[in-house]
Amino acid sequence: MPPENATAIVLRTIEFSETSLVVSLFTREHGKLGVLAKGARRLKGPFESALDLLAVCRIVFLRKSSEALDLLTEAKLLRRFRMDSRSLAGLYGGYYVAELLSELTHEYDPHPELFDLADQTLVRLAEGVAVARDVLRFELHLLRHLGLLPSLEQCVGCGCDVPAGGRVAFGHWDGGVLCPKCRPGKRQVASVRSDVLRTMVQLAESGEPSTEPMDNRTRGELRGLMNHYFAHLLGKKPKMQAYLGWDQT
Amino acid sequence: MSEATQSVSELIDQLAKLPGIGKKSAERLAYHLLHVHKSEALALADAIRDVRENVRYCKTCFNLSEKDTCELCGDPRREDRLLCVVEQPRDVMALEQTGMFRGRYHVLLGRIAPLDGVGPDQLTIDALVGRVRAGGIEEVIMATNPNVEGDGTALYISNLLADLPVRVTRLARGITTGSVLEFANKEMLSDALSGRQAF
Repeated sequence: MPPENATAIVLRTIEFSETSLVVSLFTREHGKLGVLAKGARRLKGPFESALDLLAVCRIVFLRKSSEALDLLTEAKLLRRFRMDSRSLAGLYGGYYVAELLSELTHEYDPHPELFDLADQTLVRLAEGVAVARDVLRFELHLLRHLGLLPSLEQCVGCGCDVPAGGRVAFGHWDGGVLCPKCRPGKRQVASVRSDVLRTMVQLAESGEPSTEPMDNRTRGELRGLMNHYFAHLLGKKPKMQAYLGWDQT
Repeated sequence: MSEATQSVSELIDQLAKLPGIGKKSAERLAYHLLHVHKSEALALADAIRDVRENVRYCKTCFNLSEKDTCELCGDPRREDRLLCVVEQPRDVMALEQTGMFRGRYHVLLGRIAPLDGVGPDQLTIDALVGRVRAGGIEEVIMATNPNVEGDGTALYISNLLADLPVRVTRLARGITTGSVLEFANKEMLSDALSGRQAF
């Protein structure tokens, strides 16, 4: 197989031997990859310390036809994740982005737009300006790209418009809002303020990130809803969710 | 080829559990131990037993030690005002080999790595804060690894120490001595520029 090139975000590194790493990457061209980087822990070599968590790098790899890991032959650092503030919220947000990409995407299933979104989100998280909003926006856009975005305006049971105002039923198992007729008998249903749903729609549709402040109540409710929804999707609680509480921006 | 005896197989299995040792290397090591003089092989077994039975973590700095307090903590010639924080005992060995540092150490026994399930509570951070609170330390040098997790750990600790009367510094980073600017990458150059110091 000829060598292939890609632009990649480093999602995870695991020590494989004294000098080698197994690296999980999310690439723009090929989706998620698991590669073996021989000698990556040495200071000198073809990787130039580029394989650091959340770093963006240009890679060359050899695809293996068997079940063995692909072999990474070169990595050139394009951008390291550098925290601009003294807050850890941006870093933990970055880890969460990596965890979601790792858990929800598949090998050799490319999503170039999702890569660009993750790349842009990591830059913003490193700045640490509006971490809560950036994480929520990333989560909603990720769900939309993967076809997992819950229905936020139409009832998932009958398709009718869910009335605005007051509180609305949100079915985690059903994948979105439920009208009063469809609500009875459903399990794993949360009661959500319609303001929160409106904010979700705005974040999911927003083309450009914003630093507009979000009130604490909406942020807290939205965070709880997303935590529950992702735990349901993954069948487990993401490791980084416990750390998202650090975020007060 | 005939099967190895049960005890040789057991030795190969145990050796193959060591990091960086595969099945073939384990076989080579096992047959080497069978060929060397008996006393040499048994010396290795004794050394493994000794290290497991006698070596523990120093109660003060969490470096490896054969007593409750390690040699570095017990050395009265070292400067109490300087405290160097590292991730692993092997980092202490690396720094000691430079011969440049005469202060004390604190070993975290890891780094904060939430994706690997390692949080601040699993490290020796509380003990570190306790040492700084006890007084006598003027500078804490964060010598965690210069990567995202190492930086995150250093930042977490420096935030904890922010209200205490101590200066927190980070190991310098940037261009390798003996190299040339032309071949240094963007990250190295920006590190070197931001960490520049007066002549």
